[in-house]
Amino acid sequence: MVRYLNWLWREFKGEILVLPGRSILFFGAVALLALPLVFRHPYALRVLTMASIFAIFAASWDLISGVVGQLSLGHAIFFGTAAYTSALLNLNAGLPPVVTIPLGALAAVVAGLAVGIPCLRLKGQYLSLATLAFPIILAGLVMVFSSVTGGELGVSGLTRLAPTRLKEYYVAVVAAIVLILAVWKITDSKVGIIFHAIREDEVAARASGINTPLYKVLAFCLSGLFAGLAGGLYAHYMRIAGPSTLSVLTSFQPIIWVIFGGIATIYGAVVGVFVLFPLVEVLRVAPELRMLLYAASIVLVLRFMPEGLAPWVIDRLERKCPRCKEHNAFTRRACRVCGTALRVPQEKGVPSGG
Amino acid sequence: MLGNILVNALMNAGVYAMLAVGFSLMFGVARIINLAHTAFYMVAGYCIFYLVSTAGLPLPLAILISIVAVVVLAVVVYRLLIDPMREHETTVLILTIALALVLQEAMLLWFGGYFRSVPAATAGYATILGVRVSFQYLLTLGVLAGALVAVWFVLMKTKLGLAIRATAQDREIAEVMGMDESRTATLTVAIASALAGLAGAIVAPLYILEPRMWLNPLTIVLAIAVLGGLGSLKGSLFGAAIIALAESLVVFLVPQGAFLKGAFSLGIMILVLLIRPEGLFGVAFEEER
Amino acid sequence: MPEVPETLGAPEALLEVKGLSVRYDTAVLLNDVTLRVDAGETVGLVGPNGAGKTTLLRTVAGLVHWEREKKRGTRAGNIVIEGQVVFGGQRIDRLPPHGIARLGLVLVPERRRPFRELSVLDNLRAGAYLVRDPKEVTRALETVYGLFPILRERGGQLSGTLSGGEQQMLAIGRALMTRPRLLCIDEPSTGLSPRVRREVLAKIKDIGRTGITILLVEQDVSLAFALTTRNYILSHSRVVAEGTSEELMADERLRQRYLGVAGTA
Repeated sequence: MVRYLNWLWREFKGEILVLPGRSILFFGAVALLALPLVFRHPYALRVLTMASIFAIFAASWDLISGVVGQLSLGHAIFFGTAAYTSALLNLNAGLPPVVTIPLGALAAVVAGLAVGIPCLRLKGQYLSLATLAFPIILAGLVMVFSSVTGGELGVSGLTRLAPTRLKEYYVAVVAAIVLILAVWKITDSKVGIIFHAIREDEVAARASGINTPLYKVLAFCLSGLFAGLAGGLYAHYMRIAGPSTLSVLTSFQPIIWVIFGGIATIYGAVVGVFVLFPLVEVLRVAPELRMLLYAASIVLVLRFMPEGLAPWVIDRLERKCPRCKEHNAFTRRACRVCGTALRVPQEKGVPSGG
Repeated sequence: MLGNILVNALMNAGVYAMLAVGFSLMFGVARIINLAHTAFYMVAGYCIFYLVSTAGLPLPLAILISIVAVVVLAVVVYRLLIDPMREHETTVLILTIALALVLQEAMLLWFGGYFRSVPAATAGYATILGVRVSFQYLLTLGVLAGALVAVWFVLMKTKLGLAIRATAQDREIAEVMGMDESRTATLTVAIASALAGLAGAIVAPLYILEPRMWLNPLTIVLAIAVLGGLGSLKGSLFGAAIIALAESLVVFLVPQGAFLKGAFSLGIMILVLLIRPEGLFGVAFEEER
Repeated sequence: MPEVPETLGAPEALLEVKGLSVRYDTAVLLNDVTLRVDAGETVGLVGPNGAGKTTLLRTVAGLVHWEREKKRGTRAGNIVIEGQVVFGGQRIDRLPPHGIARLGLVLVPERRRPFRELSVLDNLRAGAYLVRDPKEVTRALETVYGLFPILRERGGQLSGTLSGGEQQMLAIGRALMTRPRLLCIDEPSTGLSPRVRREVLAKIKDIGRTGITILLVEQDVSLAFALTTRNYILSHSRVVAEGTSEELMADERLRQRYLGVAGTA
């Protein structure tokens, strides 16, 4: 037991505490879990619950668009499909959220196949613009079959995610932590390396024997799965699934969050949501100026941090070892892995090596 | 019935073509997907509303001022915000989304969320092929045709047009031949936004203005530009005609068609892409190092 | 970076490259390269693949500097350029490519790169972009047609549909339309049949005879040496030898190490 705890502590120290970026994320997660012990303002809990759900959605977008490089402008298709599926199953078949959310996510995986397979033929900008079409087409169908889908009003009156506000909060936060860690693990795995390779150079990846179409469809399905889980959680939390879940703005939301936070990093997605979503809420103090200030602050931040917020911060807190490319805290003089001396970060445009 | 469909389609095709040509040119030369493109169209509409209804200017003067205003706005935004970020493609993408939202909210602040309309320039109508067509429609169609011919002339017959087409093909080689890429890109942005402004000006008396009016045309314009082939002028014209006709047919013939017109156009786009991944007249851009 | 003494630059030097180094992140593409091209010369630049020949021409034409300016601030864009490029007595290493074109230095790029969706005539007109006088354009067009009659026949055709040899002629013709003082030609014979190769190289020789200075990068050493007055051998990002074709061919060591290898490509 003691040995196990000891091992846990060493892993914790070696994997998380050594890097400021990871420490921030870890303590952020801990803070989220501990917050209700001291502070239970219903409105704050609601904002954080929503942010947790959207963080899953944003991470799923980053998986397909950032990591695999298949820039999707129509991610609402997964969110909306799952939201409607969960809602309809809940209302018409009386299934509880525990069942409807995974089934909704399954429907989103099928949507991933439906989007991913035709899009295999498309590249770059053409792919992005084609993906934009899917949720709009589905939204049109939803309006036409309004007897089933409720048309403009949507499907409402769903079972609550959990009986109390606090439980709902924990369901969302725990789901976010587990699912985002899963996404992050995927990008860090063997499959993840293939995903990165497809983004960097698809032709080269194919030339080295990787079945890139298979992996691209897989990526669409995985991304659909996580976006779908977020969509189901959202429907049950809001107790409604409406056409707004399929709107263009729903597709644009994760793009804004992720690029603002830092694309192709997964943690950037989380940072983006947890900064921007509460920001929108804070800006409610000036209702008329709210969206204006929101958009303007995004524009300003990106003008000066074009790679996004999280990478900008990490660049200042961590330093890459010139020899083994491992990250190190900015306080270190030598690399923690290979012992190479770390130099003071140089000005941009000046070479880092010989 | 058929006459109605055709007149309606022709009108929409003209407006879509103006928007799509500009969008496509901007993509070809400056390599930006400008999701704020139709927001400029909206701004022009509101500009005219303000100049005509509040300031009491005559419509032609109001149109001219609105176009100039939109061009200046677009060029300033491009030089200050977009151009320095151009190598960060994804960042540019959300910069343009944010820009569209900023413009939407600005219009909402100034003019409120009500539906607004601009009085028509002319009254009366003519009967063509058994269809009653108002003079405003005919005037609009005339201006649209004139503008598209002018664009065609600039692109095909002038040095600037040559530079635009060459730069869209290969930025590096265009530079090597002495064409200033950043100047060409700025002028392209100016032309594209002038077209968007003109489109907005022209439809202002026919359509209803509201701050979200940029969203629907945006998806349609994306569909047209992709359908016709990004960067292709011919493609934008054909794409606009196809989509406008398809929309009109759906609206007139299918029950609840108004809900389906967007879905239908985008469905056509996906079908075309599946058969020809680079669009009808697509240019396969050379990979740059 | 030690300055190269000014005395090296004799008055008739058209292009001088002084201690030029180019690095992309940690990859060294050019390492302290110094060379000169005098007015009226046809200078050859040969060497094995990856020696830095194309990078040298791209740097001289301003493309590397331009790429660096565009990518400034991105994580991918850490390009370092050191040293000087002097053309006609003026430093050009900080100029954009279109500014360099204006001074009369033009590049015929590797892989020819015609504007594919433009007609042959429009490609040539694009070359004459900087020429203001329409009469001058017509005259330049006649000169190019005189050199490559095939381009007149193909005037209305899209350049992407031309054969490889025709595209090469178009690329050279397009560059000539700028009325250049220095023509930098990058691997004109790559991918062409032996017969077309000889034809293209013969045309380049003709262009050299009209008084236009040429800097020629070529894989096929035997073809290149037949028309160059002087040559540089580039290997591993450095200049390893300089001399007339005869001098270089006479050196057994150079021939075995660089020229023989390059000649089989």
